Amino acid sequence: MKTKYIQHLYSRAGFGIFPSELKRLGSKSKETIIQDLFSRSERANPLVIDLSEFNQLRDDNAMKAMKEANKEAIRKLRQKSRQKVMELNYAWIEKLRTADDVLREKMTLFWANIFVCKDNTVWHIQQYNNALREHALGNFEDFVKTIAREPSMSKYLNNKQNVKQHPNENFARELMELFTLGEGNYSEEDIKESARAFTGWSFKPDGQFFLRKRKHDYGTKTFFGKTGEFDGDDIIDIILEQKQCARFICEKVYRYFVNPDINESQLEEITEVFYRGYDIRELMVHIFSSEWFYDEENFGVKIKSPIELLVGILRIVPLKFEKPRQLLYVQKMMGQVLLNPPNVAGWKQNRSWIDSNTLMFRMKLASLLLNNAVINLDEKGEFEDTFEAYYKKENARKRHLRTTKNWDVFNSEYMTLQPSRLKEHIIIASVDKDTDALLENLSVNSNKDYLIQLMSIPEYQLC
Amino acid sequence: MQRRDFIKQSSLASSLMFVPSFVKACESLAQNNLGYKKLVIIQLSGGNDGLNTIVPYKNDIYYKSRPALSIPENNIIKATDELGFHPSLSPLKNLYDKGYLSIINNVGYPNPVRSHFRSTDIWHTASNSNEYISSGWVGRYIDQYGKMPYSGIELDDSLSLILKGETINGIATKTPRVLHNIMKTPYFEKVLNQQTDDHLSEHNLGYLYKTMIEAKSSAKYIYETTKTYSHTKEYPNNPFGKQLKTTATFINSNLQTKIYYVSMGGFDTHVNQKNKQARLLDTFAKSMEIFVDDLERNNTFKDTLILTFSEFGRRVEQNAARGTDHGAANNVFVIGKNLKKPGFYNESPDLVNLDGNKDVKYSIDFRSIYATILNKWLEVGDKTILNKSFSKLDFIS
Repeated sequence: MKTKYIQHLYSRAGFGIFPSELKRLGSKSKETIIQDLFSRSERANPLVIDLSEFNQLRDDNAMKAMKEANKEAIRKLRQKSRQKVMELNYAWIEKLRTADDVLREKMTLFWANIFVCKDNTVWHIQQYNNALREHALGNFEDFVKTIAREPSMSKYLNNKQNVKQHPNENFARELMELFTLGEGNYSEEDIKESARAFTGWSFKPDGQFFLRKRKHDYGTKTFFGKTGEFDGDDIIDIILEQKQCARFICEKVYRYFVNPDINESQLEEITEVFYRGYDIRELMVHIFSSEWFYDEENFGVKIKSPIELLVGILRIVPLKFEKPRQLLYVQKMMGQVLLNPPNVAGWKQNRSWIDSNTLMFRMKLASLLLNNAVINLDEKGEFEDTFEAYYKKENARKRHLRTTKNWDVFNSEYMTLQPSRLKEHIIIASVDKDTDALLENLSVNSNKDYLIQLMSIPEYQLC
Repeated sequence: MQRRDFIKQSSLASSLMFVPSFVKACESLAQNNLGYKKLVIIQLSGGNDGLNTIVPYKNDIYYKSRPALSIPENNIIKATDELGFHPSLSPLKNLYDKGYLSIINNVGYPNPVRSHFRSTDIWHTASNSNEYISSGWVGRYIDQYGKMPYSGIELDDSLSLILKGETINGIATKTPRVLHNIMKTPYFEKVLNQQTDDHLSEHNLGYLYKTMIEAKSSAKYIYETTKTYSHTKEYPNNPFGKQLKTTATFINSNLQTKIYYVSMGGFDTHVNQKNKQARLLDTFAKSMEIFVDDLERNNTFKDTLILTFSEFGRRVEQNAARGTDHGAANNVFVIGKNLKKPGFYNESPDLVNLDGNKDVKYSIDFRSIYATILNKWLEVGDKTILNKSFSKLDFIS
């Protein structure tokens, strides 16, 4: 397969590709390359951090005993759990940087912005995150049924409060509006009826699902013209019978993996494929094997998410933040903090990542991370902060992002390349002709400097 | 060219900044007739406790619900025979006495949400509580009328949803010099100076270049228009005082900006609220009085309207930690010289008929306030900005 094609594939299915990998794959056929991509993502490697300090809170009985004896200790552990979610954030980014199963990780990021969820209970959100990873290339029906049972989701969309006596419609509404069908493709009556089917769906402190039988509404419901004693799984089955559900997901997949602008006939084509059996793997193989995926008009037209931008840089030059908090700072300034979506609709992506402030920060990111550049911008305070804390988020006048850089990968992969070759490896989008003229006229002192310069042109914002 | 020469040359080049033709076009567009009126929006972030701000000091339920938090009648700065100001708010009472303050009680929306994030989104986007909109109402004003990033400025280093439009966003800065310097990075200059723009497309790459060029020219415009302004007023030396001082600089320098947004943090008083809120209100009121005075002396107050809000009020009943939890409807302040109904605009909060969470019910939809300001003050089409028609109020003419 053509070098350009492999690069395109890996910029969408992963986070870029090293020259040595590109060379290894260069002589192989499209089928082999795609097979290789999928076989490396065959199994899910969960994201796990040490959460043993919360064992008591995860155990129903220990929890009950503790509740009597030590309310203060419980409060402290809960607070600690909130902080631990940050550690999970750092661990996730590290996983994205080092992953060999790039496709699965890329898909996990994708699903995290479909099944949007947030939770301060770290062992629940870790379990949730791994459910996304587990099902990322699996069957969509199993996926939705799993998500509907996850404690984090149950809390986030108030299904915990959804009981026979007082149905809460929040989960049922978002299930259809944001997870499966899209606005306008169901009625208010459908929401009311389906909310009843999810009543009593609950969980144990350790994260196990269970049905609170006395809170569940076993009565007859009418949903999408069908009548029966439906439970939540029946509702999900009926939703998936709607072709709109396949189309809704395929549209998201298309914008994320192919092109932010939809091609209707291609969307129709993949909708047919997906609707057959809701097999996510089959859908992705179909897309990456299609001829149109490699149309030039799809190359470098997607604006990288802040995480794609950051991970792309970190894969070439791994670095350690001396203050891990600064990794959070970088995410905040660009408008995407993993595990902390703005609301259940998720990040809007593409041009919505860009405003005057975020664009300048994004274009400065490489020199901040790799060249000890100074940044004197403060992040916003939190709602819960005191007045002093609100304005004092690392309010240092001349802030350096203190990092320990590891140039080994760069040295072995990129150091000896001709500058023009380096450019081809780093920049996927076709470079604006004026900027290209500028690049041509730079006499390159070292590839390190040139790398940073390349990462600081607008074209690097695209993949 | 060596790297060092490259940097040297490009910083020299900065004085000869080449302005692409379509930026010139944008700038002349922004000069269109939007008038002189300015709007300053202040969010008391975290959820200010409105009941201890404007106190119903004759209401028994208030005192019964808050044994540890209520303010005794003799400490209240009385305004009417029912309502009075928190003792920290005497500067605000001065504005009230001059007829510069309208207090609108019981402002909120149907099915109130008690999450800071979500409720702030709702106030910023002017959405219903079950609706997710990804542009802010000020952002949509910029889309439809302002047309340039500097039409709306947030006094911070990153941009909030309120200022994000569908196609054009506002710009955030609390120090114009810092923003200008970032945009002036030699390498960016070099890239932009090289740009002849005639081939910039509507695709994402063209969009990035355009955003970069607009950002740079906005930063330059803000910095150069305001850098020589010298203040005659001393502001309190705290971050909120500084935000207002910079806002006054912008307004008094005649910057073409129409809407400013400032967020003051710290109002999430779940624990030991009494002293915390007293300090916060003191900080708020002192800076506000100076800000108004500063604008007045520069003859810009008559053209400025100030709106303050919180994402929600707080629960009527105090909690176990001598604080209050997230509530619903709250009071909103409108400050200006051209108020039609200075003082109290409407009825006091009803502490008998509370909602299911025992919070104050709303009687005025916050979007009616936005609609009134857009329509009567900024004189633009409120319906296209708010995506819906809301009844107008009578607090300005």
